[in-house]
Amino acid sequence: MTRILQLGVVFFLLSITLFAGRGLRAQDKPLAKIKASSISVAMIQSDEIKLPAEFQVALYEDLVQQLQKKGGFQHVYREGDRNAANAADLVILHSTVRGFKQGSEQVRQLTTVAGATSIDVHCQFTDKDGKSLLERDIKGKVMFFGANLRATYNFAKQAAQVAHDNFSPSPGT
Amino acid sequence: MALGMKRVLFAVLLLVLSPFILPSNAQQPAAPIKVNQITGLAGVKNKTKGSITIENGNLRFAQGKTNVDLAATSMQDVVTGNDSQRLVHGTLGTLTMVAPYGSGRFMSLFRTKLETLTIQYRDADGSLHGAIFTMPVGKAEALKKELVAHGARTSVPIKEDADKTSAKAPDAKEQKP
Repeated sequence: MTRILQLGVVFFLLSITLFAGRGLRAQDKPLAKIKASSISVAMIQSDEIKLPAEFQVALYEDLVQQLQKKGGFQHVYREGDRNAANAADLVILHSTVRGFKQGSEQVRQLTTVAGATSIDVHCQFTDKDGKSLLERDIKGKVMFFGANLRATYNFAKQAAQVAHDNFSPSPGT
Repeated sequence: MALGMKRVLFAVLLLVLSPFILPSNAQQPAAPIKVNQITGLAGVKNKTKGSITIENGNLRFAQGKTNVDLAATSMQDVVTGNDSQRLVHGTLGTLTMVAPYGSGRFMSLFRTKLETLTIQYRDADGSLHGAIFTMPVGKAEALKKELVAHGARTSVPIKEDADKTSAKAPDAKEQKP
């Protein structure tokens, strides 16, 4: 009889732990997404860091492409697009390079552990009036395989994911 | 009579020297340059091989039957750079990485130098685009020069201009008290 009681208590405690864990995980998720149906991507700024032109352009182009693929926006506008002026719920993404280390593909292939390329970018999502809605520091890296420009692709994928997780055409979903 | 003789002599001289006059190639379209379009050209997939020519003030990228024209006047910034790639690249290059006895790593020692041409341009809607091309060494600067001559802008002065500026710089320094 006591054996059955002991088993019952253990089962009760286990189930409580399980439900508590679920509750905690639910709290990790953002409560509500910000309403935004379109995004305008500004050209990457690198005033403090000397960034090669090809990296600047690759960051911008990869960002536009990844936002079109995974951002979840109805429209992705480029800097200067006249059509963006009439867009409702427009968010503007400003990206500033804060750190850049140009590695070497050759060194990566020879040593495996050295020669990584990394880019640190500060991303700020604002509304039309310039009010900040969200800010994140995102890092793009290429550690083992691929050319240096792959770091820009990695950054863009993460930035698009951040946008997808925090913005939605319908609020709160 | 003497004037007539002079005219005849001048005509003969012109005839004799005419084979030595170099033909001008200003009107001839330049030969296509083989390039790899890395990203950014509207209507063309990333990492597409093709060729570039400059015709009537436009940069023309041709790949098979596809032609994409960019007006030099729409280019906000044209910048050249240097890069390199493995002699054996692409899928085969990746496969050689797992070759036995470190031969893949040994292969990565052999690299070819490349030049990059980065162009920022605006389309009809005013949208900003950026295109990156890689090409054999010695081609990018000439292309940039030609594009600038046709109305493209650049944030980095062309080498010759930069040399002239640096040659003038010491004079400017000398003028300082």
